[in-house]
Amino acid sequence: MRFKKPIVALSAACLLTLAACGGSGGGGNGNGPGVDTSNLGNTGNGQDPTRQGPVTIEGATKGGTVTVLTSTGFTTPIDPTDLYYTDTNGIMTSLVMRQLTQYAYDKATGQMILVPDLATDLGTHNDDYTEWTFTLRDGIKWENGDPITAKEVAFGIIRSYDQETFVNGPGIYYTNPYFLEGDTYKGPYTGNDPDGTKQHAVTYDDAAKTVTIKMAKPFSDFPYYASMPAMGPIPTDPAISDPAKYAQHPWASGPYKIDSYVIGKSLVLSRNENWDPATDPARTQYPDGYVFKGGQDPLKIDQILLADSGAGQTTLTYDDVQSQDYRKFQNDHADRLVIGGSPCTYFYALDTRTVKDKAITEALTWALPYKDQILASGLIPDVNAIAATNIMPPGVPGRTEYTAVEGHGPFETDTAKAKQILTDAGLLNYEIKFLFRTDLDTDVQSKAVLTKSLTEAGFKATPVPTTVADYVATRDNPKTDINVRSYGWCSDWPSGATWIPPLFQSTDIAKIGFGTNESAFNVPAIDQKIADTFKLPSAEQPAQWDAIGKEILTQYLPVVPRYYTGVAMIHGSKINGMYDDNTLGTPTFRNIWVSQ
Amino acid sequence: MALIGGGELIELEVESPTPAVEVAGKSPAQIAFARLRKDKVAVLCFSILVLMVLVAISAPLIAKAFHVYWDISDPNAPNVGDVVDFDGYPSVGPPYHGFTWDHPLGVAPRTGADNLAWLVYGLRTSLFIATTATVLTTVFGVGIGLVWGFSRGVLDQVLGFITDLFLAFPFFLGLLALVPIITSHYATNVDGLPRAQLFALLSVLVVLGWMGLARLIRGQVLTLREREFIQAAEVIGVPTRQILFKELLPNMVAPIVVSLSLSLPAFVALEAALSFLGLGLTGIPSLGKMAAQATPYYADYGLYLWVPVGAIALLTLTLNLLGDAVRDAFDPRTRR
Repeated sequence: MRFKKPIVALSAACLLTLAACGGSGGGGNGNGPGVDTSNLGNTGNGQDPTRQGPVTIEGATKGGTVTVLTSTGFTTPIDPTDLYYTDTNGIMTSLVMRQLTQYAYDKATGQMILVPDLATDLGTHNDDYTEWTFTLRDGIKWENGDPITAKEVAFGIIRSYDQETFVNGPGIYYTNPYFLEGDTYKGPYTGNDPDGTKQHAVTYDDAAKTVTIKMAKPFSDFPYYASMPAMGPIPTDPAISDPAKYAQHPWASGPYKIDSYVIGKSLVLSRNENWDPATDPARTQYPDGYVFKGGQDPLKIDQILLADSGAGQTTLTYDDVQSQDYRKFQNDHADRLVIGGSPCTYFYALDTRTVKDKAITEALTWALPYKDQILASGLIPDVNAIAATNIMPPGVPGRTEYTAVEGHGPFETDTAKAKQILTDAGLLNYEIKFLFRTDLDTDVQSKAVLTKSLTEAGFKATPVPTTVADYVATRDNPKTDINVRSYGWCSDWPSGATWIPPLFQSTDIAKIGFGTNESAFNVPAIDQKIADTFKLPSAEQPAQWDAIGKEILTQYLPVVPRYYTGVAMIHGSKINGMYDDNTLGTPTFRNIWVSQ
Repeated sequence: MALIGGGELIELEVESPTPAVEVAGKSPAQIAFARLRKDKVAVLCFSILVLMVLVAISAPLIAKAFHVYWDISDPNAPNVGDVVDFDGYPSVGPPYHGFTWDHPLGVAPRTGADNLAWLVYGLRTSLFIATTATVLTTVFGVGIGLVWGFSRGVLDQVLGFITDLFLAFPFFLGLLALVPIITSHYATNVDGLPRAQLFALLSVLVVLGWMGLARLIRGQVLTLREREFIQAAEVIGVPTRQILFKELLPNMVAPIVVSLSLSLPAFVALEAALSFLGLGLTGIPSLGKMAAQATPYYADYGLYLWVPVGAIALLTLTLNLLGDAVRDAFDPRTRR
């Protein structure tokens, strides 16, 4: 899953998310930011295929309008098929759009649980997970009162094949690789097939209200993919669902409908009277409406919420609190501070085409100024940047705790040890070439800190300048003359299958570049193991993904995990039910209500 | 020879001047400086200014003496984590901890850069930019003003038009447009960027800062060029260049010195303002940039903001008061 805002967020101050890392919570002044994060992003076995609506929250009252302020977020497309960023996903799937499945917040464990949405259960599959069938509920309706049909759900799913029309969407990662004909069928628009009749993967039966999807290879995690907006209904009338037009005003099937929408600027939602709570096992409809405002000054957001007066009391933000304001919220307004996990890992990927010696990565593991870089970039250690060990963040099923480099503690920097390793390997003054953005202050600071530490450790540090605008393209270009790349990756759902294959499966560098394998890791034995794991029964897969990850990190070490992300979001005193949706690192919009 | 009127030869007795009390000839400049020396405010301001210039010049020595570093990548600088707490506030010195000689003015939140080092190096940047810009604008302004005032006809009109054009040019808009262009052009050239930014900043300050002085000088030239000594020089064929620089320029020392002393503080303030807006220099300490970084922390860490703001205020106040004193001293109409 992509971050709220891909480029800026990815590096800069990473206004992204949270988490916690057991055991390391300390901080200064005896009021350090300790957070229990051993379960970050853990939806683990949290599935409840039988849950039914309606949902009622004890003590919740109807009414009030919730204002949501954000500085970086909410700038990406909201057409369901084109929607693949964490913040818009959280907002749209919780409030406006319905899919085959969805997540519900479980207060007892603080985790998200996969429950049915438009479908009556989490789907039924054949023995080898290559065919999934979902039965739709009765009483599901569009905002205009028309019933949602199996044909419309099928059309929505077929739309996700069209990766040329929906360049931002998740289809390229899941529909095309997994679904039948994913490599040949180009989708309704690019493939000039407006009715979706030229494909044979997605079939429906309007009378029986079923939708069936055939896969090209086993896809045991499909119910998780089915929670994304791309796996929901789209009106089949081309006049309505034309991509350019529909992106401006997607139809609502959930509790709120869109009154007005300007990308990156504002989104106003009001009650959708045609949403029937009895058909929905997770959503609620307490507030009268929502007003989202983008492009806000982060300092101002904090001040509004700190003051907590007037409209500020019904305001919330899904941006992280500024580090300098964290102490105030923690000490005086702890009840309005929402801390939790978000399933992302930041790491440095070493280019294995040129970095051949494992000693280099090992020395780098000791040399990196983890905490200094986090502080210099405005993050809060142990709150929204948590010491990483396993490449997969806590909460991914099957994940075990291990350290890739023997004896390396959380956030531990030991330049002397790094120098010793380099000296022993005869690699003193090995050149580390990394990118930094000259027009991003936090990146410049981070570069200064990294340079100092690398030099101390006996590396030759060569920062390569680029700009915010060119950063991602330069980094993802395999020909760029650098050998260390900073990368962040998030789970799309809690499964090792969203970590190990995208990050370590070999790609054809000459033809498609890194893909998301930024270390150009290419070990045929590992590729084979990945392919084999997909064929295992779903119960055995989690442990196997972790085993492969462990093998890669302990034997090859192509990456140095830096930190897991977390969130530290704040809200006004009249906002209730705001928890951390740790599958995304966004507020649990489904549960929010306003005190009257 | 016939004498008309039969008069006598009159012997003119020329009385030799009495070598009375020595009236030492004093140039206007000497008079002005004599007045300045008696002006307590001027003397005080001048002393403070000299002190600040000394501090700026010896910035490396001061930083070395206190073991402080403005560049956090300096091998001897403390690690960020050693001086900064989990929420970015310093874990040594103000605002939450006692005074320490390791960092007499505290450290910057988040990065842990030393404030004293930033102050002395920032002072250096301010004074360097202000002085260079002042000297350059004065050279351009005086040169163009002289030619403009002395010329007639087409050249006069052309220069007048150019001056008006530059005066009408929206200064901040120009900078706002220019800086991103330069930055993006040099963004991938780490060595070239600081030089390009310095050049851009100076050229903008100069290109858009000479007009006032040029008009002032032109006005002076207009009043002087009809005076006898200039007309005489023209009649006997003195080259124009010589008239401009030997006859006219020395008569304009007063307005030039006054303009110089008043534009220095203006440029100091302008550099700070531009850096505050992110249009100044990057990669080197600047008081304006420091102030910009400090504003989010003002409520809890006032010192961080007061250090750069205080330095800018003191510098501009000193220069302004000194400039006023200079103007008064050079103005013959001033009675003290």
